[in-house]
Amino acid sequence: MGLNELIALLSSDTAIQIIASVVKILIILVLCLQVPPLMVWAERRAPAMMQRRKGPNRVGLFKFRLYGLLQSAADAIKLIFKEEVVPRGANKVVYHIAPIFGVFTALVVACAIPYGNDLTVFGQKISLSPIRLDVGFLFIFAISSLAVYAVTLAGWASNNKYSLLGSLRASAQMISYEIPLGMSLIPLVVIFGTLDLNKMVIAQSAYPWSWGIVKAPISFLLFLVCMFAETNRAPFDLAEGESELVAGFHTEFNSAKFAAFFLSEYVAMFVLSALAATVFFGGWQTPFIPYDTLLGLVGGMEWLAALAGFICLIIKAAFFLWVYIWVRWTLPRFRYDQLMSLGWKFMLPVGLVNLLVTTLVVAFIEHAGRN
Amino acid sequence: MNPYLPVLIVLLLGVGLGGILSGLAHFAGPRKPNRIKEEPYECGVPIVGEKDKMSVKFYLTAILFILFDIETVFLYLWAITFRDLGWFGIAEIIVFLIVLFGGYIYVVKRGALEWD
Amino acid sequence: MTQELVFLAFAALIALCSMMVILSRNAVVSAIYLVGDLFSLAGLYASMDAHFVAAIQVLVYAGAIVVLFMFVIMLLNLGPDQRQHLQVSAPEVGVLALTIIGFLVVGGMLLLGQPTGVTGPLTAEAIENAGGNTYTVGMVLFTKYLWPFELASMLILLAIIAAIVIAKKEQNKDGDTRRLAHG
Repeated sequence: MGLNELIALLSSDTAIQIIASVVKILIILVLCLQVPPLMVWAERRAPAMMQRRKGPNRVGLFKFRLYGLLQSAADAIKLIFKEEVVPRGANKVVYHIAPIFGVFTALVVACAIPYGNDLTVFGQKISLSPIRLDVGFLFIFAISSLAVYAVTLAGWASNNKYSLLGSLRASAQMISYEIPLGMSLIPLVVIFGTLDLNKMVIAQSAYPWSWGIVKAPISFLLFLVCMFAETNRAPFDLAEGESELVAGFHTEFNSAKFAAFFLSEYVAMFVLSALAATVFFGGWQTPFIPYDTLLGLVGGMEWLAALAGFICLIIKAAFFLWVYIWVRWTLPRFRYDQLMSLGWKFMLPVGLVNLLVTTLVVAFIEHAGRN
Repeated sequence: MNPYLPVLIVLLLGVGLGGILSGLAHFAGPRKPNRIKEEPYECGVPIVGEKDKMSVKFYLTAILFILFDIETVFLYLWAITFRDLGWFGIAEIIVFLIVLFGGYIYVVKRGALEWD
Repeated sequence: MTQELVFLAFAALIALCSMMVILSRNAVVSAIYLVGDLFSLAGLYASMDAHFVAAIQVLVYAGAIVVLFMFVIMLLNLGPDQRQHLQVSAPEVGVLALTIIGFLVVGGMLLLGQPTGVTGPLTAEAIENAGGNTYTVGMVLFTKYLWPFELASMLILLAIIAAIVIAKKEQNKDGDTRRLAHG
């Protein structure tokens, strides 16, 4: 077809939406891929700071020491070119596909978080999250419940009884904390009345006193603890604990597969941090500056306002990532039975009671408001 | 545009990325298979003992997880609609929660959640 | 047209995954294909605008029930299927025959125009106007289907008690907590 027809086709509504989606997805993908290298660097410099020593600070470029930031690049290159040793008796198919589960679940959930308000480009409303579904929340929980398989399959496929034990324990831990995770966010659905994450961000206006954390503080605490348990991070990292069970379920995985597990762990951390920032800290809302005022400030250029919102979200998520590292190097590890008791015997009832109390409070407030 | 189209795109990209990483592991490194290297790792000592049977606790945890997950699904549904259901709706959900809380107390009392 | 294509694609995926579930030699690989099966089924639900059910299908079925299957498979330490060629036993032939008969019956009914394929009052627009998919499902569940809902809670309670009784019996029978009995 001629050039004019091609341009007409590409300017049609659907085409613009599709192209916009692909661009958004690629941007988020690239963003997510930056997280593991930075986190790996932070994970070595931060404890160094806390333990009063220097972390890696030598790998640099052209005689600039660059604070050791290129250490991550060096690690990545090393990992890729290492030999992969498939353990004898391992199930070949499952061994090769186990890391994929972790990677794709983390990336899909990363695309469901609202990174900014809706923009109008070429006359089309474009939302700044590639996946904008009616059942937003449930989609996130549904996909993240598939992340268990990465751990379970990895341990089983290794033909190593310690890997299997480690993976079963890690899987049991992950599923045990999925219930309080969901239950801690239901009060927020009750308060904001919607499952759509973007609407939730808009409902928490820019003023911090109407943010999720003020309206549901216990939910926030529950969610924070579940965040650590879901990603198998300290103080709940028994199943991959460095001094026990070697490296747990990923003992027998080397080179780029190990990198894949690492990637999925850090991206999952980033995604949960961004989720916490979205529902408890106002997401892309700039604090104290409502969106309209912001638009006015930047002279009506929507994309600048969206960029400001995006940067705010990243800063909030980065705060939570810092909390992850901080907690890891501060608290001692939980014993496995303590961990499971905490999840089932404490967090579940607290979550239920929190939900009931929140509902009753909201019901009373609305009742009083109506009369 | 169907809202699930981006889901499909990310799914394909995610699986593709995972596949590439897995494939890189397999193809990018040297290949020197060696009998000792390929043995399952046990801190360097030769393997002791067979794979022994696992505890039944895992099974119980998984079943309880399913049941409480289903409860959570009903709670989601109720959370969205509770405003328009009035006090009757709150009474409904309290009945539901009491029944399940009863089940939960039974679980705790029977010690099914003890991990030794 | 696109609707039919989408349906065909998902249906083909489901059929393929189901076949692989049966034909895999390894139980864990079968479980993985089952996850693919349930995921495709969720996609089918989504294509029919049943978004809530699609999400729940993945959450509960693919994310919880198949996890249970995998735990059991790993606990029982099942070895790979030892059969070398395709040997069919009598029950399998029976199931195959029933399946073929089932297909013929359904095909015959469709030819006779039985499920008429006329859309009822709950179209996608009607649901959107009523407040969205989840909202509609919830409202219907808590008003019209209240009794089934409360009975479902009883059913869950029953399942909890049954699971614990069975598991505890296994524990006490063996004297120690380490073995899951066979059969």
